[in-house]
Amino acid sequence: MLQVLIQGLLLSGLYALIAVGFTLIFSVGRVLNLAYGAYLLIGGYAYFYFAQTLGMPKFAGVLMAGIFGCVLGLLKFQLIVKPLKGNHVAIEISTLILAVFLQSTVIFVFGDSSKILLPIIPGVERVAGAAIPFSNLFAAIASWIILLSLWWFVRSTHMGRAMQAVSMDAKGAAISGVDANRVNMFTWGLSGALGAIAGVFFASYTQLYPGMWVAPLIIAVAVVIVGGIGSIIGTLIVAHIVGFLEILTSAYIAPELRGVFTMLLIIVILVWRPSGLFGREEL
Amino acid sequence: MSAKLEIRNLVKKFGGLTATNDVSFTIEPGQSVGLIGPNGAGKTTIFSQIMGEHPQTKGEILIDGKEISHLATPQRIHAGVSRTYQVPRPFSEMSVAENIRVGLMPDSIWDMITRGPNREREVEIASAIGLGEDQLERLPSELSMGDLRKLEMARTLATSPRLMLLDEVFAGLTVNEIAVISDLVQSMRDDGMTFLIVSHDLKALEPLVDHAIAINHGEVIAQGQYQDVMGSDIVRASYLGTA
Amino acid sequence: MNLRWHHFALWALFIVGMFALPQFVSNGTLRTMIFANFLAIFAISWDTLSGRTGYISFGHPFLIGIGAYTTAILTHRFDFPVEISIPIAVIATMVGGLIVLLPALRIKGSYFALVTLAMMELVYQLVQVVRPDLTGGTRGMSGLPTLTRGAANGYYMSVSLMLAIALSMWLIMKTRLGTALSAIGMNEEAVSGSGLSVTKLKMTAFLMSAFIAGLGGAVYIHYLGSIAPRALFDINFVFTIIVAALIGGAGTTIGPIAGAFFLTFLLEYLRPWLPGAERYMVYSGLALLIYMYQPKGMWALMTQATFKSKIRP
Ligand SMILES: Nc1ncnc2c1ncn2[C@@H]1O[C@H](COP(=O)(O)OP(=O)(O)OP(=O)(O)O)[C@@H](O)[C@H]1O
Ligand SMILES: [Mg+2]
Repeated sequence: MLQVLIQGLLLSGLYALIAVGFTLIFSVGRVLNLAYGAYLLIGGYAYFYFAQTLGMPKFAGVLMAGIFGCVLGLLKFQLIVKPLKGNHVAIEISTLILAVFLQSTVIFVFGDSSKILLPIIPGVERVAGAAIPFSNLFAAIASWIILLSLWWFVRSTHMGRAMQAVSMDAKGAAISGVDANRVNMFTWGLSGALGAIAGVFFASYTQLYPGMWVAPLIIAVAVVIVGGIGSIIGTLIVAHIVGFLEILTSAYIAPELRGVFTMLLIIVILVWRPSGLFGREEL
Repeated sequence: MSAKLEIRNLVKKFGGLTATNDVSFTIEPGQSVGLIGPNGAGKTTIFSQIMGEHPQTKGEILIDGKEISHLATPQRIHAGVSRTYQVPRPFSEMSVAENIRVGLMPDSIWDMITRGPNREREVEIASAIGLGEDQLERLPSELSMGDLRKLEMARTLATSPRLMLLDEVFAGLTVNEIAVISDLVQSMRDDGMTFLIVSHDLKALEPLVDHAIAINHGEVIAQGQYQDVMGSDIVRASYLGTA
Repeated sequence: MNLRWHHFALWALFIVGMFALPQFVSNGTLRTMIFANFLAIFAISWDTLSGRTGYISFGHPFLIGIGAYTTAILTHRFDFPVEISIPIAVIATMVGGLIVLLPALRIKGSYFALVTLAMMELVYQLVQVVRPDLTGGTRGMSGLPTLTRGAANGYYMSVSLMLAIALSMWLIMKTRLGTALSAIGMNEEAVSGSGLSVTKLKMTAFLMSAFIAGLGGAVYIHYLGSIAPRALFDINFVFTIIVAALIGGAGTTIGPIAGAFFLTFLLEYLRPWLPGAERYMVYSGLALLIYMYQPKGMWALMTQATFKSKIRP
């Protein structure tokens, strides 16, 4: 019981971190960024390269991952999203193509086989039969800190409010003097960095391999769709629903079925209540 | 050829905003009525409720005495009502003829496949509306604003309505183009078509309508003979922005 | 119907050319072309729904998979003859797909894409754990009855199927139904404002798409003789189908075929230099460039170059 609780909390924290960058783009830019999963991929491999191959300090590795993700996000916005000018179908398709491109680039550089990421913080603590790797604990705590500061940021800073304004009404925001381009750039950069950092944690939780971007993409999608577009609190709540659902399924039903309920949740919610469980479109 | 429209206590809420509030009016068969009001008054919203695109929060809509609120948009078209859009959004990658073709189509997949388009009818509608045969193969992006509005009318006309709702048909047109559309509306009136026309261009509207309904902030503030409505203090005031 | 004699002349030429090919090329090339034919079928199926109406399906392997698994299970576990199992598979794809995805057709744009993606992943996971005695679980099934022997026969079978599907879809899309479906992609509201039931149209497009996907999927695995979930319910497979349709030109019939051949041969020619999955780097990079430059694909690029016609980018 306690074991399930602990594992659920750890996994949910990780999922929240994965989903939050996706939420940002979906609510501010109103685009479905199917290449979001690729940030995690790039982040994971950047960390692997800098921290493990080059032997840089781990913190620097995470930082490099964040930088790579940020740059990738900015490039994507400038080179793909902006030229397509709000054509949603085209953006979805081109981001999917981009994701496959990045995946095959990773294969080209690092090869097809999976890599083992050394834990960011080594060590395991046992509580009531549950093994808690410090890495995972750290990831969960980090994701809480990141989410809460993001929540504070959006609510309290000038840039955060500008993001809110653009997310609610891009045209209205432009009229009241918000530079939507700058806000978008910032959001894409931030989302990329968050995604890449989440990728480091995700890869150390599971494993690092070129196809690893699909699962987190679907988790991010699930969390955002079910939580309601652009709600940070909704994201947090639903990340826990999805996380616990998976842990409970694998503990009490069958480990192979752990993803099934996540998928069902997406489908049912989308068809039944497209605006999500926790309603509307404010950050 | 004519249809009667009755609107009873129509209320439309967009979240907290009440776009139309308890709107009621009746248009007798063959009448032509102007719907006027300042920007944001709720004119377009009345249209989209009649068509079922934004179903009303409360109230009733009757065509020829029959309630249509439970019908989906295509069925309302079959009941004889059709509208134009304030901002023309034609099928952008289709020729003028194909745009009209969509309006002419039967709602039966089998018919669509087995029977070819009715070329004559397409040409007929186009020329009735003042689109020349040389324009039939053009793309909407190659048309002037005036011709786009004509295309919008043509697509509406193709559904053989008995009641037409025209939203800002004169906006962005030259004097000549206004005259063409005006003549067209006149001749359809003579054939018995019922009209509800939204226009900011009162000079163009006046000769086309016998009655008028004025709304502001989603509420009817005056209705009756066109001259009486335009003469009423409350309507003048709302246009000057003091009400 | 807007059909001209030269359209049929071009089709006749194309069909004769495709059937004459085995005389001129090696068996290796033929095998590549068989895959191109199947990819073309899947791309036409995708295009029938997504290319025309703008409802993007990211889960097309879900439909292909219903067809493939139905016939595989029927023949392998219950000894059905292929002539019976394939029609059943096609019907199962249409009915099964409709039950699951019909509610999804109510929702718009991006959400539809997401539901289809989730659907594919769901089926992928379920196939492996629910009744593995039937589905073969993670490993799939092999030793399925095959329809043909030898490269030439396989080619004739696949090319006939592909051409029959292409020609039928071309004819159907030339009718007013085709016009109405494209109209949905441009302005759905105005279609229902023209008195047409959009739901009915979308359902028709979906059923045609499912028919082709189910048929293609069923025949495909009886060409391969085996079925494996990972190769089927794979985002790279979705990607290949979509890119084939797009790169050739969505919303046309010749586009998906051209795209499928181009991509299959591109992958084949890259093999000596890039043996593994990194070939997709060239493939996707190229696709991205073409798509960003001309979302309507190479077909539009070519017609643009030839006629300088005004096709909106
Ligand atoms: N889909 C919608 N969602 C939310 N609010 C809406 C929507 N459509 C209209 N409104 C609001 O309802 C009110 C009435 O709008 P409507 O378009 O009916 O006005 P109108 O009289 O047609 O104005 P105009 O002369 O500018 O065309 C406005 O305040 C508008 O912002
Ligand atoms: Mg209006």
